[in-house]
Amino acid sequence: MDVVQLKRQLIAFTELLFGEGFLDEQFNQLQQLQDENNPNFVAEVATLFFEDSERILNELANNLDKQSVDFKKVDAHVHQLKGSSSSIGAQRVQRVCIIFRNFCNERNVEGCLKCLQQLKHEYALVKSKLEALFSLEQQILAAGGSPSI
Amino acid sequence: MGTPLLWRAFGSVSGLTRPRRNRAAGAASPHDRDRIFSADVKQEDQFQYAKTHCLSSYYSVFVARLAIMVMLAILIGLLTILTWHFTRSYTTKSLNGLAYGLRYELLQRPILRMWNILNSTVEITTAQVKLSEYVIRKYNKPTSQAEQIELYEMMKEVTWALFASRKALNAITINYRNGFVQAFHRDHRSNNTYYIYSDLSNYSITSSGPSSSEPLSSLRGWNDQSIHGNLSAIWYREPLDPTTGEKIGKARPILPDDLINIAGISQVPDGTATWHVAVSKYSDSPLLSAALPVWDPSRENIVAVVGVTTALYSVGQLMRELVEFHSGHIYLTSQQGYLLATSSNTPLLNNTPKGPKLMMANESQDPVIRAGAEWLKRTYGDNYPPSHEVHVENARLGDQHYYIDSFFLNLKRLPMVGVIIIPRKYVLGKVEERAFKTLIILICASLCILLIGCLCILILTNGVSKEMKLRAELISHLDARRRAEASSNYKSQFLANMSHELRTPMAAVIGLLDILLCDDCLTNEQYSTITQIRKCSTALLRLLNNILDISKVESGKLVLEEAEFDLGRELEGLIDMFSVQCINHDVETILDLSDDMPRLVKGDSARVVQIFANLISNSIKFTTSGHIVVRGWCENLNSINEDTKFSLEHKKPLCALKAKLLKQHGKTIIKRALNLKKDSTAILWFEVDDTGCGIDPSKWESVFESFEQADPSTTRLHGGTGLGLCIVRTLVNKMGGEIKVVKKNGPGTLMKLYLLLNTPTDTPELLHQENFAQHGISVVLALHGGMGRSMMSRWLAKKGVFTIEASDWNGLTQTLQELFHPRRSGSPNSSFRLPYSIVEAEMNLGDRIVAQNLVIVIDIALLDLSTEIWKEQLRFLDRYSRRVKFAWLLNHDTSNAVKVELRRKQHMVMVNKPLYKAKMIHILDTIVKETTMSSSDERISRSVREGEPHECLEMENIPFECVISSDESDTTEAANNAEARGDLQVEVSDQACYGKHIERYDVFNGSEGKFDEGRCEEQGNSGSGNPAPNRGKSLEGLRILLAEDTPVLQRVATIMLEKLGAKVVAVGDGLQAVNSLNCTKSADSKEMNRVMPGLVGTERSPTYDLILMDCQMPKMDGYEATKEIRKSEAGTGLHIPIVALTAHAMSSDEAKCLEVGMDAYLTKPIDYKLMVSTILSLTKRTDP
Repeated sequence: MDVVQLKRQLIAFTELLFGEGFLDEQFNQLQQLQDENNPNFVAEVATLFFEDSERILNELANNLDKQSVDFKKVDAHVHQLKGSSSSIGAQRVQRVCIIFRNFCNERNVEGCLKCLQQLKHEYALVKSKLEALFSLEQQILAAGGSPSI
Repeated sequence: MGTPLLWRAFGSVSGLTRPRRNRAAGAASPHDRDRIFSADVKQEDQFQYAKTHCLSSYYSVFVARLAIMVMLAILIGLLTILTWHFTRSYTTKSLNGLAYGLRYELLQRPILRMWNILNSTVEITTAQVKLSEYVIRKYNKPTSQAEQIELYEMMKEVTWALFASRKALNAITINYRNGFVQAFHRDHRSNNTYYIYSDLSNYSITSSGPSSSEPLSSLRGWNDQSIHGNLSAIWYREPLDPTTGEKIGKARPILPDDLINIAGISQVPDGTATWHVAVSKYSDSPLLSAALPVWDPSRENIVAVVGVTTALYSVGQLMRELVEFHSGHIYLTSQQGYLLATSSNTPLLNNTPKGPKLMMANESQDPVIRAGAEWLKRTYGDNYPPSHEVHVENARLGDQHYYIDSFFLNLKRLPMVGVIIIPRKYVLGKVEERAFKTLIILICASLCILLIGCLCILILTNGVSKEMKLRAELISHLDARRRAEASSNYKSQFLANMSHELRTPMAAVIGLLDILLCDDCLTNEQYSTITQIRKCSTALLRLLNNILDISKVESGKLVLEEAEFDLGRELEGLIDMFSVQCINHDVETILDLSDDMPRLVKGDSARVVQIFANLISNSIKFTTSGHIVVRGWCENLNSINEDTKFSLEHKKPLCALKAKLLKQHGKTIIKRALNLKKDSTAILWFEVDDTGCGIDPSKWESVFESFEQADPSTTRLHGGTGLGLCIVRTLVNKMGGEIKVVKKNGPGTLMKLYLLLNTPTDTPELLHQENFAQHGISVVLALHGGMGRSMMSRWLAKKGVFTIEASDWNGLTQTLQELFHPRRSGSPNSSFRLPYSIVEAEMNLGDRIVAQNLVIVIDIALLDLSTEIWKEQLRFLDRYSRRVKFAWLLNHDTSNAVKVELRRKQHMVMVNKPLYKAKMIHILDTIVKETTMSSSDERISRSVREGEPHECLEMENIPFECVISSDESDTTEAANNAEARGDLQVEVSDQACYGKHIERYDVFNGSEGKFDEGRCEEQGNSGSGNPAPNRGKSLEGLRILLAEDTPVLQRVATIMLEKLGAKVVAVGDGLQAVNSLNCTKSADSKEMNRVMPGLVGTERSPTYDLILMDCQMPKMDGYEATKEIRKSEAGTGLHIPIVALTAHAMSSDEAKCLEVGMDAYLTKPIDYKLMVSTILSLTKRTDP
């Protein structure tokens, strides 16, 4: 595939991600921060985000599995996840986080568990999308083009 | 009895279903409402609980009612039964006693009669026997026939005597041993009396009787045969006179059939008296016959048998009489059951072919008697009780109830049974009838009582159930209130969330626009478009903030802050902003603030701006042409005193003035004003005057109500919600002022308002009182709008600046020619025809004025920009450029070509419309500076060239710094204000930011031409000139400590800051932040030679310039860390600015941040621009 086609694909894919609300303006900001000094900045941040999120999700699952749920802890974790997701622009994750925190405040275990499920789902989605995005970019790079739009 | 209960129960049940339905209906709508927000399960549960609770209470009421009613019913029933029972049982008992006595009496009497009859019969028989004995003894052993006959005659006489004496006797018979019979017989039916005797011929006197040794055996055979069987005997009967006994007829032989019952010897076999009941064809009642033997003197032989028969007729008669009186039936029977006497008229004998026979009682023709007898027989059979006494009280015979009593009369040889049958009705009929009536009355009464009782219960419990209902209503109200509170909570939460959610994208949009604006490969069109978008976005952000404000105002939570701000600057900013709108409308926006206005006032700048923004935008909305003037003047009560510095005597009239002024505005204001007077309160008067469509006087008050608009068509034409003026009035009132619509001459609306604002007493009045007159400046105002021009010229004239007005291009040229050409021609009597007398008057001053500073303030609109004529016009003006200074007023949409051209022609002073005093002063200042410089150095062009890049540089900084080029202190002050503000921080800081944006854009626009030119020049000069690095590195040299635990954020923020040129040290938590800070400090103290690798790149400053601190971190959170840092700073005089980074958008979080000692507050996700401006404002302050 030639670079132009790949690029078109990338643009379409990015638009799709924005259109479906997986990403928001923050991601654009991130992309703008990427320059020669930090060529892989977005991917790097995303990787950080993935690691961080997975850790938090595990922590959350562990916490919620316990008999007596420490909502304060859970809330702190969710808060963290919300911060990182909003920083990367994963707004759907962020939205779930907001709902999650409401449940935390209500001390509603069921709601929390439901939210955790949703969170995992959204996270998996955004992860797969972002990974697809990055691989597309890599392809473009490999094809000799520049991934910037 | 059960009906009212049933009815009630039904009522209760229907009452139960009704509220349930209501509740169900009520449940539906909140459910829908709930769907808007996330479903609240708990609430639903509570609701369910309340419902069941309510339902159960209904059930309990129902059950309680039922129980009370049942108890009442039982009580009343018991009472009724008891009453009935007692009355009835006692009467019945006594009546029964009486009835028994009556019956006994009734029966006793016939029995007694019977007894009497028997007795009399016995007596007569005995008497007859005695007499017979006597007579027979006298004629003992008659030997001859004659003697015999004499004996018989004698006997006849004696017997007659006895017979006649007893009328009741039926017959007396004497049967002699020899077979001769004498008898008297009375026929009661025909009332005849007969003497019956047998033929004597058959008997011999000496007939040998039966042998004495065998009297008994012989007697039987003799007796009966002799009477009945011996048909050979002839019987004679002769009628007798019943009274005298004389023979009245001939004796006739009679048939044996007609024979009366004659007692024979057989009846007295043992010599004692016998009794039996007999029948006779002459009588329809049974006869009682008694037989006694007549013994011979020796008492060995029976010589004759005397029989007496008595009709029981009289007993029947007596019974009849009794029954007639008492009703009922009485009868007497023998022990065998043969009827002896009855109270009825029915025959007692059966007429069989063999002659009459006694009948059994149960064969009687009287139905009652028969039935009674049958009943008795059926009941007792033959087993009568030993005494033969039976008392039955309630025997049913046929279809009636009877008393049946029987008594046994134990006569020897003739035991008798008397039975009386009395209808129950007779004895108890009335009583039972009464009892029945009583019962009915009792039942009716108890029913009534029950009914009334139930009603009472109903009424009483109705109160209870009403209370229940009220309680249920209360519960539902509480429920509704809880729901409302919850929804209000939702609302506030929603608003809070929205404030975050809305601002974040808006901030992103604005930030991205800023980034875009920094991009240098934009065309001018794109640039202006983006600028416009930027403006709109800012306006949108402001709108969002306003919406949040409105909700705040409505909820009454609005708290005005008290901070110093520059009122004039705020209003100028506003006017700048609105003038952009107005120019399109051909509306002039004029700000006319009097000079005595305090520059700095204390108050809530955001709210003041909001007031005027609302008022001005309102005016703009309704003004299509003309002008909008915002006038302001001050009545500074204290400052007047101070300024005038009059003696004490002068204060009195002033006080009077004050009082007069305050009287207009009500006592509360007076009070407030007097209280505030000590704090040098200023009454700031403002007018917003427009030439729009105006407001009908009747609506002058109501326009300030919420959702109220002067004209219903307003919404259609102009849109809007009608909230603006309401907010304005609320705010004005909160600031201790008033607003009203005032009558004005001419079309339009005049809004007049005053605010009570404190003026800071400690700050000296920084009045810009440069005396331009000293510099000999005169101004030609060549402005399009007449209103603003005249106002400005008046003000300048007051300042001692000579002013000439010109309204259009022709006027300007004329003025210029008249000013310069006469001078150039050199003739003082030149024929210039100035229309303005003032000019004429001033012209005497002559050349000096002109030679000095003539400033021509010229509106770009005077040029004909639509065609190319404007270049000609510029060229024309150029001719004067050496002698006059031009100050250009530009429109916001003035094209770049014009600006470039102007700049090329060395027209350096350009400001954006509208022109107000501050700008005028600014212009004049610049001019004055220029002239002084030029007069001293004569190198005008150089100074201009120096000024240019300077300005350009400032311009470049603007997008990031948010700093107005003119004064930096202002920004710092604004930042100070922002920090000092309380819980309104979020909105206010945005407002402040917004205000800054406006100012910035004002300046930006105003010097756009210069900027472009400068950029062009720079590019042209340097060739490689790319301003982007310069622009991008606005944080160059700053050392920032970033404390952030989330790696993603940490990374993003680091890159952001590094891109801006800052040196960033990132740490993972608060503890590390504190540690690293301490390390650098210690390093600092040790001559800062030891460099911490990776942490500190000590070049210029050993410590950090700023800390970005996340609030929620492990180990030590941002608040703790800040406290720690501030603690360590205490006493050192250092103050590292700490900026909080938090994902919370609530003002409470911000308050908390500020409380612990942070300086500013940034929300996540980090807004690029806001972060930069915040950092700059903080670092600038600390940097000297």
